[in-house]
Amino acid sequence: MVAGWFIILIAAGYIGLLFAIAYYGDKRADQGRSLINSSAVYALSIAVYCTSWTFYGSVGRASQSGIAFLPIYLGPTLVFCLGWLLLRKILRVSKANRITTIADFIGSRYGKNAALAGLVAIIAVIGVVPYIALQLKAVSTSFTVLLHYPAVGGMADGGPDSYFHDTAFWAALCLAAFAILFGTRTIEASEHHQGLVAAIAFESIVKLIAFLAAGLFVVTVLFDGFGDLFQRVAADPELTRLLRFEATGGGFNWITLTLLAMAAVICLPRQFQVIVVENVNERHLDRALWAFPLYLFLINIFVLPIALAGRLTAPAGVDPDTIVLTLPMAAQQYSLALFVFIGGFSAGTGMVIVETVALSTMVSNDLVMPLLLRWRRLGLADWPELAPFLLKVRRMAIPFLLLLGYLYMRLVGESYALVAIGLVSFAAVAQFFPAILLGLFWRRASTAAAFVAIGGGFLLWIYTLLLPSLAGSGWLPIAFINEGPFGIALLKPYALFGLAGLDPITHSLFWTMLVNIGALVGISLLTEQSALERTQAALFVDALEHAEAGRLWRGTAKLSDLRELVARFLGSGRAVEAFQDYAGRRGVGIAELAVDGELVRHAERLLAGAIGTASARVMIATVAEEEPLGIDEVMRILDETSQVIEYSRRLEEKSHELETATAELRAANERLKELDRLKDDFVSTVSHELRTPLTSIRSFSEILHNNPDLNPDKRREFLAIVVKESERLTRLINQMLDLSKIESGKPDWQTVDVDLAEVAREAAAATSQLFEDRSVRLDLRLPETAPPVAADRDRLMQVTVNLLSNAVKFCPPADGRVALTVASDPVDVTLTVADNGPGIATEHHETVFEPFRQVGDTLTAKPQGTGLGLAICRMIVDHHGGRIWVESVPGRGAIFRVRLPRRMPLARAV
Amino acid sequence: MPDEVRRRDRLIGLFLLALVLLNPPLLMLFGGGDTVFGLPLLYLYIFAAWLLIIATAAWIAEPRSSRARRGGDG
Repeated sequence: MVAGWFIILIAAGYIGLLFAIAYYGDKRADQGRSLINSSAVYALSIAVYCTSWTFYGSVGRASQSGIAFLPIYLGPTLVFCLGWLLLRKILRVSKANRITTIADFIGSRYGKNAALAGLVAIIAVIGVVPYIALQLKAVSTSFTVLLHYPAVGGMADGGPDSYFHDTAFWAALCLAAFAILFGTRTIEASEHHQGLVAAIAFESIVKLIAFLAAGLFVVTVLFDGFGDLFQRVAADPELTRLLRFEATGGGFNWITLTLLAMAAVICLPRQFQVIVVENVNERHLDRALWAFPLYLFLINIFVLPIALAGRLTAPAGVDPDTIVLTLPMAAQQYSLALFVFIGGFSAGTGMVIVETVALSTMVSNDLVMPLLLRWRRLGLADWPELAPFLLKVRRMAIPFLLLLGYLYMRLVGESYALVAIGLVSFAAVAQFFPAILLGLFWRRASTAAAFVAIGGGFLLWIYTLLLPSLAGSGWLPIAFINEGPFGIALLKPYALFGLAGLDPITHSLFWTMLVNIGALVGISLLTEQSALERTQAALFVDALEHAEAGRLWRGTAKLSDLRELVARFLGSGRAVEAFQDYAGRRGVGIAELAVDGELVRHAERLLAGAIGTASARVMIATVAEEEPLGIDEVMRILDETSQVIEYSRRLEEKSHELETATAELRAANERLKELDRLKDDFVSTVSHELRTPLTSIRSFSEILHNNPDLNPDKRREFLAIVVKESERLTRLINQMLDLSKIESGKPDWQTVDVDLAEVAREAAAATSQLFEDRSVRLDLRLPETAPPVAADRDRLMQVTVNLLSNAVKFCPPADGRVALTVASDPVDVTLTVADNGPGIATEHHETVFEPFRQVGDTLTAKPQGTGLGLAICRMIVDHHGGRIWVESVPGRGAIFRVRLPRRMPLARAV
Repeated sequence: MPDEVRRRDRLIGLFLLALVLLNPPLLMLFGGGDTVFGLPLLYLYIFAAWLLIIATAAWIAEPRSSRARRGGDG
């Protein structure tokens, strides 16, 4: 026998430590240096999922049916795989609407329906009571077992032992005090309970280490490692059976438990509290997605070995749920046993604390407030300060809930295993799951449907699980289970309508979900939603698309009324702060705030944090007269929306057109720039060309002027140069005039029938002097007459003379030869001038026709022309619809060809 | 955003994989009572599969080092 006072001292010391951590956490939060702003703490706080059930119950379960305890932890792993899709959406919606409980969440989704939220709150309270009872039972059982150290077993069945009940009672009182102190500190429930969460995270560490310590002790000290343990198990056919999948009760059972756990990890009030309400940063979810499943993995890895070890070594009569504690005790390891006790204690207390805080918020926000608002609205509306009243409601709810749990434990719990009790609770909260899941992803899920679904599922749960559990404990006649009520066999609660062969949980889950999902889908499909339902549904379903989709609101309200209302629930200081914040974000003074839908919604959200969305809506309705959204209104909004869509489509088109236009403009601009550059080049070249002859004229004139006694020969020579340069200047200017005249497109030409052969002969005659001067031979290969072309005769003459004089210029001084040919085919007449000069490189075949583009190095060689001749030629030929080009290989002469179209006979007829 | 969508889709894929790995009939396949090196196959299989799923989830969900510092983990 160990002194009870010592164990109590240790437990009290542990609770004291929790108080200290929670107090420190709250203090840090007040200073703005949050202790819990970390993804690790977030994941640890979610591990409040692991309760006494995990710590003691799993081992008990494993010792009876192998790995059947695992689905309870695999389910959450699955849900967290979907966290990115599911949990994040719930987080977003809840934060945007200041949702603080699961009842609030469902009520808000389904048209802010107060009755639905109330129903959910009632189910949560009733459903979770067995779960709280489970924790109290585990705490007191483990205490009793430890108290009888070193005697193992004996007291396992509980029984009317005074210690047993007193421990549970006093533990419940202690926990109530803790929950009240740190869970109901302020009124705005969406403010995080930082101290509480810090304490919970600490408890998660304690229970994990304690359980791992127990596991390591069993595997390495009691046995010689895993191999040894399983070897000894293999020798026992009864235990080998536990290692087969059949031991779990079959696939149906497995899948049922997985589904239940998936639902529970979201729907349990405390899970919703830690995952959603206490979340301080959405990013923490990223890490929790795997860190929480990892925690579950670690705390489960030794469950089966401990259970098997318990079966191998523990004496008969030991409660399987206490194996984890009795194994160290049997090995005389008192301090380890004490540590394990503390671990189990922390698992139980963590759950009870968070659960009662979450439920108390639910009771005050979704049950008490709406009822008071409805039944005593006049009386309540006159109260100046409601915040203290709300706090009182919550503080009274917590001991009340613990009392219910204690009563259930005394009435029912003693005759059931831990896991069996817990599963009853899981099945109850699982009734929320379809409404939540469909509510998040299916717009049409309606309020009426959710009401019938949850209510119907709950009633069936009572009938198929809760009532039989009472009957099993002797509070109802056992015949209720065995023969059905009033002897009606079809209504037997464990085999409803004759559905036998399933275990009670699977059986219950099947019937409740059949009714629940059936009603939710069926009634949603058959009913129409109200405008408010529609907007709320859109708000939830599209949560990830829009950060904040505004609800439509039309109506009138006064700023002072809103402020007064918020002040009554939050306290005046907090209310002023909130409104100042809001005004500050809009950059106006608090008095200048416009009372629009946005402000009213803001006030409603502030209230929602304190009293729940449904109640907030009722309260806002007392000061803000909201006009219902008529069908005309909705149609108008739809119209506007489709117009906006149409506009945006047109805008897109326009912007596309603009883009095209811009591209065109840019291209045109590029071209203009290029032309501008060409013009600049042209001007500078022209100036250069003009300056060269001018310079020589001027310098020779100056010489003549300054030296009157220059000898006559020199004088004549210089004068000749001046005359020659002046002529060149004149020619240049004439040609430039020509060029600009042709370029501007209005040359005064006379188009007549021209015989190119005759033109060629005349040109040859005109340039014969030039050929003689340079002693270049000119070969004429001309037909008698060539077919006529329609052209200006003088211009063609100009072209031919130009080509001939060019050819002469480039012929070698000795043995220069130029050939002038005219030939015709049925379409064209071609005039060719070929020389045996140096030729033109291929890359210059085009540029020679550009103005001032003389081929060759103009710096070293003196330019042999104006540089405009060929440019003019090309313009003239182009003008006549012909073509001029050069064929040449460097070193082998150049051949210029002019091809002009023959005048069509048709033209003659006209 | 494309990154978020990719991670979301991968996690959904992982969910489906986990659904298959952690449920019958695969569990029946491994739960026939066989042993590997003296350890029960069912026990080994389910914990190995579980750990694999957790590791994959971590690999997908954990912010990559390049953007780990942005916004911070707190």
